[in-house]
Amino acid sequence: MHAWLEALQNSAFSAWVVGSDTIWAYPMILTMHTVGLGIVVGAAVVIDLRLLGVGAGIPLSEMERMFPIFWVGFTINLISGVMLFVSEAADKAAQPVFLLKLSLIALGVVVTARIRRILFGGNARATLVPPGARALAMGSLAFWAGAIVAGRLMAYLK
Amino acid sequence: MDPFSMWLESTRISTVMRNTTWLWPACESIHFIGLALLIGGAGYFDLRLLGFMRRVPVSAAKAFMPWAIAGFGMNFITGSLFFIMAPHMYVPSSAWWAKVFFIVVAGMNAMFFETTLGSRVMLLGPNENTPVSFKIVGGISLFAWFAVLFFGRMLPYIGTGN
Repeated sequence: MHAWLEALQNSAFSAWVVGSDTIWAYPMILTMHTVGLGIVVGAAVVIDLRLLGVGAGIPLSEMERMFPIFWVGFTINLISGVMLFVSEAADKAAQPVFLLKLSLIALGVVVTARIRRILFGGNARATLVPPGARALAMGSLAFWAGAIVAGRLMAYLK
Repeated sequence: MDPFSMWLESTRISTVMRNTTWLWPACESIHFIGLALLIGGAGYFDLRLLGFMRRVPVSAAKAFMPWAIAGFGMNFITGSLFFIMAPHMYVPSSAWWAKVFFIVVAGMNAMFFETTLGSRVMLLGPNENTPVSFKIVGGISLFAWFAVLFFGRMLPYIGTGN
């Protein structure tokens, strides 16, 4: 496992990401990761706030439109995140705060998918906030905020 | 270093904050959470102004704006602290000036909407398309906030003068 991570970190691709002088390598990938963060967490926040009573004038059914936006942001960050990870694979895989970040993202995705299911899964077309949705919304907000903090602290807690 | 940055960094408040080692990472964490609130809340309203999600009344789509403004407030405060702690990173940076420019564009765009077009929001019925003026305002807002994000994140890498 470790040898494999070392090989990734020492690959030509990694050398280009972290070593290239162009801003189109590491800085641009990092910036795309932040653009994706704004989209994925921004969409989650809008869904969560609606479930917590903000924007009650918005038909709940219209919140279904936010999930594709959420997944677009998530995909941007999955791709940019894998590129950033590969370039420092062996170091990142051993960093506790990175593993914490991944766990919080996993929890955030599971909770968001669960919200989608109880609102719009199968034939469900929720018009009123279902029981349990508020707790999921609060969990979602906490997990995404935690993932952001853990992500920032990766630069400090080596 | 430019004289202004040199002076500001020599002040007691700048020195004390800079020596508080946890303050910078803490402000960064808040700055990124604020970014998500701002992009989420303002982006939602911008999409409605652009004519998406027409079953949502325009006035209702505005409900997340207080949260977007709270996110902006968080970022204005933490951003000001970054500036006080290390002005030399920002004053000579063209990326930082571009970021400030797009914040001003987004702010003036929002103020223009509130003072001239805002009253027309209430007159717009459900399922109605938005007028071109709303689409322009929504488009400028969405573009400007992502430009702010772009130049903010690229700040350490472009236009630093080295």
